Amino acid sequence: MKKVLVILLLAVLGYYTAVTFFDIGFGQPHFVAGVKPVKDIYLAKTVKPLTVSNAVTSIVVNFRGFDTLGEVTVLFLAVTVLGSVLYKKRHAVGERSVLFNASSIVTAGSKLLFPAIILLGAYVFIHGHLSPGGGFQGGVIIATGFLLMLLAYENYSVSHTALSIVESLAGITFAGVGLLGFMHGGTFLQNFLPAGVLNNLFSGGIIPIIYIAVGFKVAAELTGVIYTVLNEKGESNG
Amino acid sequence: MVGTPVLFIAIPLMAAFLIPLLGMIWKELVRIVPGLVLTYLLILSINLLDHVLAHGPIVEVIAGWGPPIGINLVFSALSGFLVVLMEFLGLLVWAYSYRFKRNVDYEPALKYFLMLMMLITGSVGIVLTGDIFNMFVFIEITSISAYGLTAFYKGRNSAEASFKYVMMGSVASTFLLLAIMIIYAQLGTLNMADIANKIHLMNPTLKIVSYIFFVTALGIEAEIFPLNGWAPDAYAEAPGPVGAAFAGIVVKAAVYAIIRYTYTIFDLSGTFNFLIIIGMITLIIAETAAIRQEKLKRMLAYSSIGQMGLVMVAFGFGTEEGVFAALFLMLNHAIIKSLLFFSGSYLTYNSTDKKISEVNGMSKFLPITSLLFALGAFAIVGLPPFAGFWSKLAVMTAAADSNMILIMALVLIVSVVELVYYLRVVNRVYFYKKEADVKPKRPTVNALIVMITLGAIILLVGFYPDAVTGLLHKASAGLMDKTQYIHNVLSVR
Repeated sequence: MKKVLVILLLAVLGYYTAVTFFDIGFGQPHFVAGVKPVKDIYLAKTVKPLTVSNAVTSIVVNFRGFDTLGEVTVLFLAVTVLGSVLYKKRHAVGERSVLFNASSIVTAGSKLLFPAIILLGAYVFIHGHLSPGGGFQGGVIIATGFLLMLLAYENYSVSHTALSIVESLAGITFAGVGLLGFMHGGTFLQNFLPAGVLNNLFSGGIIPIIYIAVGFKVAAELTGVIYTVLNEKGESNG
Repeated sequence: MVGTPVLFIAIPLMAAFLIPLLGMIWKELVRIVPGLVLTYLLILSINLLDHVLAHGPIVEVIAGWGPPIGINLVFSALSGFLVVLMEFLGLLVWAYSYRFKRNVDYEPALKYFLMLMMLITGSVGIVLTGDIFNMFVFIEITSISAYGLTAFYKGRNSAEASFKYVMMGSVASTFLLLAIMIIYAQLGTLNMADIANKIHLMNPTLKIVSYIFFVTALGIEAEIFPLNGWAPDAYAEAPGPVGAAFAGIVVKAAVYAIIRYTYTIFDLSGTFNFLIIIGMITLIIAETAAIRQEKLKRMLAYSSIGQMGLVMVAFGFGTEEGVFAALFLMLNHAIIKSLLFFSGSYLTYNSTDKKISEVNGMSKFLPITSLLFALGAFAIVGLPPFAGFWSKLAVMTAAADSNMILIMALVLIVSVVELVYYLRVVNRVYFYKKEADVKPKRPTVNALIVMITLGAIILLVGFYPDAVTGLLHKASAGLMDKTQYIHNVLSVR
C-alpha cells in the first residue's frame, strides 16, 4: 500500500515536472520578451576583446572562470574524500588487490597506444581555446591512458607523491593566475596577458595557461581515483 | 581598505592546494596552516564588516566583467555578519580539533583539515556570492566536504550515515540545477540582482515551480522537515567538532540561501506564510522527537533541527522585527549549539553508544565541561540572563507585532519541551552517581579554551545584548530593502 502511494506521488510529481520542462522548449531561444540574455553578450565578446575561437572555452574559463575554479576544487575534494573514506581499507603502497589477466596482445598494444593517448590528451587541452575540448576533456583522456596501463600490467604503479605534487602545482597555478590578475587588473582572474591574434596558439591571454593547469590537475586526480580504488581491500582478502 | 571579499575564497583554495606540498616538508604544517588561514580571514572579515557598516555594501566583480555578465560577490551587513560568524566558529572548530586528532595518522589528518577548511570556504562562498550558479558550485563544495567529514575515520555506521547524506545531497543538487535552468531559460541571466529586477516578466507557473525546486534543494541542507532524514544520523556519527561545524556553519549558509531567494529574488505572494507553516511543522516534530532520543548527539541534532524551524518561522513574519529575531536566533544557535556539541562530546568521550544514560555523575570528574554544558543547555532553552533569552524574546515581540498569538503560544510550549529534555541531561550530569565502567576523559587545553570562549560570549551577549543588536538591526534592514540591493549590484561597472 505504502509503495503504491509512493509511486502515485512520484508519478504526479513527474508529470508536472515534465510538463513544466516541455513548456520551456530547449534548443530554441525562448527567453521572455524584453530581456537581453547574457549569451548574446558572451558570443559578441568572445571574438573581441577576448580573441578566443571556442565560445565554450571563453565562457568556462573567462566569463565564468570563478565557477570553474570552484568545480576544480569540487573534483579535488571528491578525490580527498574518497581517499579518506577508503583509508582504512587500503593496502600498503605498491600492492594491488584488483588484478586482471591481460593477454599478450593487450600488454604489447597498450605500450604502443599509451604515448599516443597522452599526446592526444595534451593536444586537446593545449588547443582548448581553438578547437572543441579543453582541460577537463584532455585530463580525462590522459587518465584513461594510465587506466589502460594499470589494466595491462600487474606491476605497473604510479607514484602517489608525484600525483599529489602535480595536482597541487596545477591548482596553485590556477589560483595563482587568478591572484596575479587581481594584482594587475584589480579583479580576480582578470586577463593580464596580451590577447594575441585570433586562431593562433598563443591567443586568448590567460585562458590557455588556466586550461593547461586544469588538464594536468584533472589527469592527476582521476589517475589518483583509479589507483585508490584498485588498492581497496576486498572482502575476501581483507 | 585592507582586502576584498574574493580573498575569502582565493586564499583558502590556494592554501588547500598548497597544504599537501607543505605536508611533505613538515607534517605539522597541515595542522597549522588552516588555522593561520582562518585567523587571517577572521581578521579580514571583521575589518571589512567595520568598513561596510560605515560606508555601505562592497560589490566585487570577478574577471573584470561587471554584472550581469560576470560573477560578483556582495559583502553587505547581512553577509558580513554571517561571514564573521562562520570564520569565527571555523577557527574554534579548528582549535578544538587541533590536538583532538593527534592520535590520527598523517594522511587522514591532512584530509580532515582540508575538508574542514573547504567546508567553511564553501559556506562563506554561499553567503557572499551574487550569482545563482556560483552559489550551486559553493553548495557542491560544502556538501562534498560534509559527506567526507561525516564518514571520517570511523566504522560502518558513519559510512552509512554519510551515504544517506550523499543520496539526499544528490537529489538536492539535481533540484537546484533544474531550478537554475528554469530561471535561465526564461530570463537569460544568472545574476541575482538582475533576476530580481526582471522576475515580474517571468511566466508565473514557471516561477512557482522554480521557487519550489529551490526550497526543496536548500531545505535538504537547511534540515527542514520532511527533508531532514539525513541530519540526525550524520550528527550522531560525525566527530563532535564536525557536528558543531554543521550546526553552526553549513545550516546557516543554507538558511541564508533560502531567505535570499524568498526576500530578494522572488516576488511571489504567500511565500512568507509557507515559511511559517514549514517552520512550525519542523519545530513541533523535531522537538517532540528530541524528547524520545537516547543518544546525546541525536538529541542535540533534533534540537538543532527544531531551532532551524523556529528561525524559519521568524523569517516568515516578513517584517523587519521578524528578520532581526531570526538573525539573533541564528547567532545564538551557532554559538550555543557549538558549545553543546563540544562539551557533549567530552561528556560521552569513551563510550561507544554515546547514550544519555552514560553521562551520569560526570560533574565530579569534568567540572568545567559539565558547567559549560549546563550553561549551554540553559542558554538554548532561553532562561534569562543568558543569550538565548533575548532571541526568544525578540521572536515573541515580532510575533506580537504581527498579531500571531498562536505562534507566541507555540514558542512558549516548545520552550517547555526543550527545558524538559535538556534538564534531563543536566540532572543526570549533576545528581546521579557515576557508573563504575564509564571512564571520563579530561578535555585538552585547546578544547577547554574554546569552550570557555564560547561560554564567555554567551554570558556577554546575555548581559549586554546591545553588543550585537545594532549590527543585527542594520543587517535586517539591508535584507528588507530589495531595491537598494538591486541598485547596489547593477550600478557596478
